[in-house]
Amino acid sequence: MFDRRATFWALSLPPLLWLGVLFVIPLLLMAAFSTRAESGGELLRLWAPSLKHYDDLFTTGTYWRLLRLSALIALVIAAMATVMAYPLAYFLAFRAGRRAGFYLVLLLVPFWTSYLLRVMALKLMLGSNGVINAFLIYASLITEPLTLFLYNRAAVVITLIYVWIPFAALPILAALQRIDLSLFEAAADLGATPFRQFWRVTLPLSLPGVLAAFFMVFIPTVGEYVTPLLVGGSQGLMYGNIIQDFFTKAANWPLGSALSMIMLLSTLLLVAIAVRLVDLRKLIE
Amino acid sequence: MKRTHHRLAALGSITLIITLLLTACGAAATEVPPDQLTGTLTVLDWAGYDAPDFWTDFQTTYPKVTVNFEIGASDADIYTKMKAGDQADIFHPYTGWLQFYVDEGLVEEIDTSKLKNWDKVPEEFKKIGQINGKQYFIPWDWGFTSILYRTDKVPEGVNSWAALLDPKFKGHISMWDDGPGAVTVSSYIHGYDETAVTAEQLAAIKEEWTQQRDSNLFYWAGEPELVDGMVNGDIWVAYAWQGAYATLLGQGVPVAYANPKEGRNSWVGVYGIRKGTASMDLALKFLDAKLATATGNNVVNLFYYGHSNQEVMNGITDETLKQAFSIGDPSILSKTNFTPNLTAEQRDAWTAMWAEVKAAP
Repeated sequence: MFDRRATFWALSLPPLLWLGVLFVIPLLLMAAFSTRAESGGELLRLWAPSLKHYDDLFTTGTYWRLLRLSALIALVIAAMATVMAYPLAYFLAFRAGRRAGFYLVLLLVPFWTSYLLRVMALKLMLGSNGVINAFLIYASLITEPLTLFLYNRAAVVITLIYVWIPFAALPILAALQRIDLSLFEAAADLGATPFRQFWRVTLPLSLPGVLAAFFMVFIPTVGEYVTPLLVGGSQGLMYGNIIQDFFTKAANWPLGSALSMIMLLSTLLLVAIAVRLVDLRKLIE
Repeated sequence: MKRTHHRLAALGSITLIITLLLTACGAAATEVPPDQLTGTLTVLDWAGYDAPDFWTDFQTTYPKVTVNFEIGASDADIYTKMKAGDQADIFHPYTGWLQFYVDEGLVEEIDTSKLKNWDKVPEEFKKIGQINGKQYFIPWDWGFTSILYRTDKVPEGVNSWAALLDPKFKGHISMWDDGPGAVTVSSYIHGYDETAVTAEQLAAIKEEWTQQRDSNLFYWAGEPELVDGMVNGDIWVAYAWQGAYATLLGQGVPVAYANPKEGRNSWVGVYGIRKGTASMDLALKFLDAKLATATGNNVVNLFYYGHSNQEVMNGITDETLKQAFSIGDPSILSKTNFTPNLTAEQRDAWTAMWAEVKAAP
């Protein structure tokens, strides 16, 4: 009845259009902007391409150091969130039974509130007048409120791990649910202990989900700026905050674009190396 | 049945024609009365300034005009929006950021003869809205910047801008998140000429604020953030506008607003009209109403800022406000430094300096 070709285009044109107009074109514009030496004048006029901003950025070591640090922070956060999400996903897949659906909804409830609201709520926990400090003072363990929970890098890491755990659990859960249960029976019949069974069967088969979870957390976290802005204080800022500053506080789009391009390319490079190292294709097959 | 229908239709048409004729005559004879004037205006303003209290005179005089608000987060944000082709008819920048709008051809000269309230604005304020000898902006709100401190935590008081860099307040300082603001503070402390900061001076300023970061708890971006930090006792010493001071006084928090020996800083907010707006007439009416007394009183009483209409300022009786504006101190204005206009080079160099401070190890 339907022309297969027509159906294909009818289904793929809207998303392609969306991505093209709102993702590819802005990305190309940003790449073009990063080669513009002056921020004055008409926005859409032609300009002689210049690598001035890249040159400036390479000579200013500060930004590179912060980018390395942000990548390291993202690595820690992605690893911790994935490790902590695994037991959650395992429980939902194999132990929750009939209640699995209910627990899944519980896991997703935080997404129904705004991200900003959740981080603000966390501030109520960690602040100097917050719940943790109030409890410690009440318990006479300290006399002055501790400031080490908020406005530093640790606060950023703690907050982001918390925020990402439910997200990271989803791809792992999907991978665990795909495992054929008869494999466990076979392993048990062959005399494998529960630990061995997990180590040799469950974990390897769920690795694609684990890697998906890891990268899903790692990539956006490298460029994070909202969380450091809210809980990071003056010492916990990340690379994304500097990019945001150049766009909103400095009115310097060309330099901000150059900073963004550097982050984009470095992240892509890191992911490419990682994929190479773990041989993703073999894992998925 | 059908006949009545026809008759009704005919009657309807006649009424319509008569109404149209009457309206046409009316329009030709006199101008549309203010309460019948229709149209749409878009204002690009800061969060909070969209509240009807801040344009109440316009709303009551022209109830049928629709006013839409867009919100800008900072001067740079408003500037980049306008530069990117924002279609707002009116926008609200602050001293320091005015020259760019003129240089980039984004602002229309204002015909002040159309403003009934213009005479109530003092000459010094009018000058602030003049660039290259032309009146491009209408001064509207103004206030001080100084050091705000908790009197219970800092009983010895603060008498210099250097307090913001003093390690003895480690972990309890909050600086405004702004490069030009940091340059201003350093210039006051060291007696640099703010309009001609040299490369060496800028390097010294960068070093100074990088050191300061270890003592700074967080850089504040919006006043509520700062007020919150002062209320809960995290922040003892901060760079602040007097709005925060008045808010905290109102809440009974023990705070004082320093009179630093280097002098306070002062800023003025202005309104400009976008070049090429299709609603010039309405925009001028809006600005005129912005200068009117009821609106001005709200600026003073609700936001604790000064207003460019002198009659409004002369009418202040509230003691807290008198204290906030230092109205009792006749020498305060002579001890105040107005924020000069930045050049594009200064803006880029100073904001990059600040980004490096924030990114420093």
